Amino acid sequence: MDAIRDRLVTCFQTVFPDLPEAEIPAATQASVAAWDSVAVITLANVVEDEFGIQVDFDLLAELDSFGRFHEYLCREMQVS
Amino acid sequence: MNVTEALRILRRAPADAPPYSVVLACGFTPLHLQTFLAAHLQQSLAGRRVTVSTGLYGDTAGTLEVHNNLSADAVSLALEWPDLDPRLGYRGAGNWGAAALADILSVTRAAFDRLSAAIENLPAGTPVAVSLPTLPLPPIFHTPGWQTAEAELALARNVLEFASRIMRRRGCSLVNAGRLTEDSPLGNRCDLKSDLLTGLPYTVPHASAVGAALARLLAPPMPKKGLISDLDDTLWWGIVGEIGPEEVSWDLASHHRLHGLYQMLLAALAEEGVLIGVASKNDPASVRQAFLRKDLLVRPGQIFPVEASWNAKSSSVERILHAWNIGADSVVFVDDSPMELAEVAAALPGVECLRFPKDDYGAAYAMLRRLRDLFGKARISPEDAIRLESVRQGAAFQEIAGGGSASEAFLQQSEAAIAFDFRLSTHDPRVLELVNKTNQFNLNGVRYTESDWKDRLSRQGALLATVSYQDKFGPLGKIAVVQGRKDGETLYIDTWVMSCRAFSRRIEHQCLKMLFDRYHADAIVFEFVPTPKNGPLQDFFAGIAGDRPTAAFALKRTQFEEKCPPLYHRVGEPQAGRC
Repeated sequence: MDAIRDRLVTCFQTVFPDLPEAEIPAATQASVAAWDSVAVITLANVVEDEFGIQVDFDLLAELDSFGRFHEYLCREMQVS
Repeated sequence: MNVTEALRILRRAPADAPPYSVVLACGFTPLHLQTFLAAHLQQSLAGRRVTVSTGLYGDTAGTLEVHNNLSADAVSLALEWPDLDPRLGYRGAGNWGAAALADILSVTRAAFDRLSAAIENLPAGTPVAVSLPTLPLPPIFHTPGWQTAEAELALARNVLEFASRIMRRRGCSLVNAGRLTEDSPLGNRCDLKSDLLTGLPYTVPHASAVGAALARLLAPPMPKKGLISDLDDTLWWGIVGEIGPEEVSWDLASHHRLHGLYQMLLAALAEEGVLIGVASKNDPASVRQAFLRKDLLVRPGQIFPVEASWNAKSSSVERILHAWNIGADSVVFVDDSPMELAEVAAALPGVECLRFPKDDYGAAYAMLRRLRDLFGKARISPEDAIRLESVRQGAAFQEIAGGGSASEAFLQQSEAAIAFDFRLSTHDPRVLELVNKTNQFNLNGVRYTESDWKDRLSRQGALLATVSYQDKFGPLGKIAVVQGRKDGETLYIDTWVMSCRAFSRRIEHQCLKMLFDRYHADAIVFEFVPTPKNGPLQDFFAGIAGDRPTAAFALKRTQFEEKCPPLYHRVGEPQAGRC
């Protein structure tokens, strides 16, 4: 597992404390009941805190799974 | 604090702790404000599990009105301009033109009336923390941004009128706008994108600042009780033993006004019931001479005791703590010498040590404000006004009584009078203040919020005794509180505190006698828990029960009567109460 993935898992654990760690990599907005419109903003802020980046709110609708967050971060971290 | 830290604080909250529920009324999407408010409160209320609930978007007054009939431990209101009229925000589609201003003013007045009524109708005793609009008004006025518009002033006047109206409700407190501006600069508060996309108009740092400010009002730190000051180059400029009492200075002409400001603050603190003492390495005669100066800005009578000697500062501080009979963690020590501060800090780690920065105006300004924060309190009670005098009298009492235990003759002649008030009232804030700040004679160290206290007093069989004392040395005011319940022939005491100023007068014995007699009880069960600080109460229990208790225990009437020494107090007629 890569470092970005590990750190992203920690972010998910912070925002969704009831989500078992093993289920996090497969988590999607549809599969996690607590992943609502408020949680997605909270998740974006926690990701910002963890990675020191600004998450573009316009993209939040697209970041609807752990995998998509991971891809987004890999792109952002590469750029920075 | 960032969002991640806030969430982690909330995750660490003890799952089985008693809940502390707060209603957050705001018209916008609460989002991080809710998280930050909960996290900051959780930090202050470590033994509780804090939950923050919110109401409907855009319905601040409605949220308060719904909660008029619900039981929350506290209410917080984060008001912003659109709560008063949606045209004062960025999300509402309305007319910003000059023609709309008169109507906006009228709508805001009506909104303030509704909010005031909702706050006034909240359950009595529920603490309410209010943050008045923190965001700049949108550019709706015809004037350029650097010029104040008349309508803007009218809005500001409405805000102030609302603020002074709700401040009259007991338990309602307002965030200090000036301090909030220091913590969260005006230009960094509004996040227009977040406002338009999510409904939260605050930047994350501003949400944290407002959350912290509201939390501090609901769960304020306990104010310190005493300040011990150095003299030379602290209370005044100069070394009195070298230049003489007439040459030490604190005035503008000598350019030593910082010391004068410090004296003025000490005088104000003394008037508010803060104990002020002096610990100085000095010749006592020189100090006495200096204290005869008529231009001192703190009256010598406001300072007690003055420990002037060549001993270590820590031993002087210890003697002062003994005279005041308070713990080191209730005290601040101010000295210009880093070495002296370090010596006191090493010997008495609980004491908060502050350096008097005699040559640094910026640091001195910060220190004066820091002292105000450490000693500030929401209200000043009658007991605050007599505290110093009663400590002074207490010292005289102990001296005449010959130390630890007073002689029978002395107690008999002290003309002591005790008044018991058995009303189950939650209106006297002194009662809960005494419960929450007393350490040494405290049954179990449990601290209560206003709503906890109210709940306890509304239980079946609840009893409350508030005890006041005076003797020929003067009044001590309200010095003890007993709270519990009666069940059959047994009293259960959950709370018993007594001010350290009231020790050695057998007031604690008289309290037990009164409880046994008034409630015709065969036994009293004390919900005792040993704490690191309640040794004096443990000693008292050892005297009447035979051993220092280690947990809750029952004391039989016969046991008490066998060990109770003669009591000479004149006991005031108890007032009517339930039970």
